[in-house]
Amino acid sequence: MPTVLTALIDKQDNFEVVRDQIAVLINTNQAAQVILAAAEPDPNLWKLRVFTERAQPWEQFLNEPGKALVSQDLSPIVNVWYENGTFPESMGDTVKRQAHTATYNIDVYGLGIAQDDGATGQIPGDLTAVQNATRGIRFVRNILMAAENTYLQLRNKDGAALGPGVYQRWVQSITSFQPDLASESAHSVIGIRLALRVTFNEYSPQVDESNALETVHVDIHRASDGMLLTDAEYDLT
Amino acid sequence: MSLRVQAEADLAVTLEASTDFGEPFTLTDPSDFASATQLYGAVGDIGQVLDPDTGQAVSARHATLTARIATLTAAGYTTLPEGKADAGVKPWRVDFAGVSTASQRYKVVQSFPDRTLGVVTMILAFWNAAAP
Repeated sequence: MPTVLTALIDKQDNFEVVRDQIAVLINTNQAAQVILAAAEPDPNLWKLRVFTERAQPWEQFLNEPGKALVSQDLSPIVNVWYENGTFPESMGDTVKRQAHTATYNIDVYGLGIAQDDGATGQIPGDLTAVQNATRGIRFVRNILMAAENTYLQLRNKDGAALGPGVYQRWVQSITSFQPDLASESAHSVIGIRLALRVTFNEYSPQVDESNALETVHVDIHRASDGMLLTDAEYDLT
Repeated sequence: MSLRVQAEADLAVTLEASTDFGEPFTLTDPSDFASATQLYGAVGDIGQVLDPDTGQAVSARHATLTARIATLTAAGYTTLPEGKADAGVKPWRVDFAGVSTASQRYKVVQSFPDRTLGVVTMILAFWNAAAP
């Protein structure tokens, strides 16, 4: 009989930790940006709605009971999901630690509804959808490439040999998808994808990673529709 | 009377009769002209999914209006409805209500005139009449 593992696998692998951390960084920063934009004409232009690993159709742009279409929350939707990862043999060992180079897709969906411009013309919905999606991607890229997030705030504790130890994060590509013309929809929706490559450590299950990470404590909650809600305090004085 | 002319005349019953498939709608052209008489045609607003190519669909709606060209001409519209890409002009706008829902405002984004039968089908998008 082969030897079996005697300990329960009750940990998260680091590719899951990194995915959630990306979502948390985007979510906490978008909330901070809305506060920082308080003096702007419309602070909600800085708002993003953040989800992870969603695969079912987005209904958020369609149905908010009791609300007229024009008063719905139309801020861009962000979906963070893990696409793939490779494990370079030169960066690790066969027993304990393997470097994991992972690609996370961060998809931003922008909605546009045609609108009266208040004068003699219109603000076309297809244009608004692109503007909303590109604004969302702009915020995502700037948040993730900010100096504060060079290592996604997941470096190992000083002197600790273990932990996710994010080595590098790098925007691999930004891809804007073609509008869905065939559907002739009453909504204009545009999707833009930012592919983020992150390199970090994964450990074999016998390795005790506890107490190896710089303390990062964030309470993550989810709304009934799966949207990420994070507790954070901002000192803006 | 040819069959084609007869078919066009029948639109008064098959397309516009309020006791059958005719639903009331309002059509406003870019100069804000709207017919003073109530117009009737075939309206539709159904759910569908959009594919933004990310691998994840977005729920959306597909709205259409089909109207009789002769009726629009008689009502005073000087051209057929069409999509207006120019942001400097107002689009053609349409108002109609669902069977059990409040009236919804739309703009015409595309039109398909069928001059053989005498109808024009319009593809509609949501329109927010409130200025930003």
